Amino acid sequence: MTALLEIRGARREFVTPEGGRLAALDGVDLDVGANEFVTLLGPSGCGKTTLLRAVSGFETLDGGTIRLDGADIAALPPFRRPVNTVFQSYALFGHMTVARNVGYALEVQGVPRATYEAEVAAALEKVGLSGLGGRKPSQLSGGQRQRVALARAIIAKPRLLLLDEPLSALDRNLRQQMQIELKALQHRLGIAFVFVTHDQEEALTMSDRIVVMRAGRIEQIGTPRDIYRQPKNRFVAEFIGETNLFPVLVERIEGATALARTDAGVVLAIPAEGRRAGERVTAILRPTDLALAGEGIRGTVTRAVYLGADLHLFVQPAAGGPEISVTTRDVASLPATGETVHLAHDPARVHLLAEA
Amino acid sequence: MRNPLGWAALTLFSLLFFAFIYAPLFVIVGYSFNANPVNMMIWEGFTLDWYTGLFGLTERSMDANSRAAYIESTDQMLAALRNSLFVAVFTTTIATVMGTATAIALARFRFRGRRLYDGFLMLPMMMPDIVLGIGLLIFFVTLGMQLSLLTIIIGHCTFLTSYVFIIVQARMAGLDPALEEASADLGASEWVTLRKVLLPQLAPGIMGGALLAFVISMDDLVITYFVSGTGDTTLPVFIFGMIRRGVKPEINAIATLLILASVAIAALGLWLRSRKTD
Repeated sequence: MTALLEIRGARREFVTPEGGRLAALDGVDLDVGANEFVTLLGPSGCGKTTLLRAVSGFETLDGGTIRLDGADIAALPPFRRPVNTVFQSYALFGHMTVARNVGYALEVQGVPRATYEAEVAAALEKVGLSGLGGRKPSQLSGGQRQRVALARAIIAKPRLLLLDEPLSALDRNLRQQMQIELKALQHRLGIAFVFVTHDQEEALTMSDRIVVMRAGRIEQIGTPRDIYRQPKNRFVAEFIGETNLFPVLVERIEGATALARTDAGVVLAIPAEGRRAGERVTAILRPTDLALAGEGIRGTVTRAVYLGADLHLFVQPAAGGPEISVTTRDVASLPATGETVHLAHDPARVHLLAEA
Repeated sequence: MRNPLGWAALTLFSLLFFAFIYAPLFVIVGYSFNANPVNMMIWEGFTLDWYTGLFGLTERSMDANSRAAYIESTDQMLAALRNSLFVAVFTTTIATVMGTATAIALARFRFRGRRLYDGFLMLPMMMPDIVLGIGLLIFFVTLGMQLSLLTIIIGHCTFLTSYVFIIVQARMAGLDPALEEASADLGASEWVTLRKVLLPQLAPGIMGGALLAFVISMDDLVITYFVSGTGDTTLPVFIFGMIRRGVKPEINAIATLLILASVAIAALGLWLRSRKTD
């Protein structure tokens, strides 16, 4: 399978006000398939928006190539690139009606009147805004404006749609609803989405693949499950979801499991495969991988947060070291703050990083 | 919490403040209807003669000589008004186009000396009119240009471009750059983006700048006085000359009409600004 979008060695440097140089993109390679929902995820300043803008044409690269359908588009001005963008601010044209906003791409192309009107109506229907074409953007709610921006960007039938943190201005409920709708729309349209966000939950919900970026580089590319369960390094592990990190020394191998100990003295059972005694590794346990039990890591509950379906506990290990975060379903026996508990885990759920 | 005495004092102060600002205007409007042709301070009855007189429609009995002189001065005044309108229309058009183009260029392009350019554009506004007037006069004379309506238009454009620039620049600064990017993203060339997105978005600022330029051009006395030729004079210069020969009642009528026109233009400006644009 050849990729729809093919980015190789993308580099872009900015000159900081102090006169220094900052690599917004530091050699980025990325492939996006024809029907894929890819999310660029990372903290602000990691280069995700720069990468998106390089594809849309609003940033020029200092080096590297961008190919769309095999054709190099790096030299094309934005208005000649067959990709469309949903902007963070929506960037709706306030002096035009909703319908004219949506039909703008066709208006510019000079599409015949009848086709134009049918297409605008169809696009409005796709985003659930039929009947609102005569309004001005200022008369719409935030969620509706978001849909107008979406309809406007898909009307020209791009093969690739770029979305620059489009949901960041919406409230939580609406954002979750839009996440589901966006994913459904992408499926229905059968086109590729490249979605930029700093919200890891958003990335996990919608993406086929997540690209985790930091300081102009790609840290890891993978499915949401890969990224969550098998992070390649500490940065990815800590950026995606809540994580307990245990830098440990492997003490001895006992069949399929090995015993490892933190410097403070917390003992963990980890998968033995590939391990040898005396080795230093970092063990990763998600809060959901730990459970209250009769034995295991002994500690004191410092804080208990009731979340409805789940119970979230912070446990200070008796041996010392940082607090351990635990999410459990077992709400039959609510541990009180100050109570002593034991935390058990399945060794197979432990993910190991080679770095200590 | 409310101190009644304080409120009464504040109300009184406000009334006095507005009286201070508007009393001279009301006096002029009142006098323009006074039938006394010699001393306008003494009320002699209501008349519209000064208005009809402005347009050569007067029925006042006078001898042939003074009637001829009268009509001549009325004709001169109407000619001055025509000149003023001519100058204002051309100046407004040129200053609006140049000011708008400059504001867009300075906001959207980075080039060396941009800040300096910005500062130099402010300068004509800060410059005392009299300095600008003398400077322009010497400049035109040095070039050997005949003082005419053309020199007035050039003179007005030098500083009115700055006014338009400032107003459009303010609007430009409040504009989301993503609007132009969205337009380009949807396939519009720069020219189409300018026409369909940028200019409509800037329209309130451009209209505001144009109205201001028009009003200032119509009103300018000092600079125009220096750069107008002997034959072609504008209304403010004409009125200024008229007053030096003694205040005629017609001046009150002209002033009243000018007040009306200014209010109309200001109202138009406010209405344009209040129209929702986003």
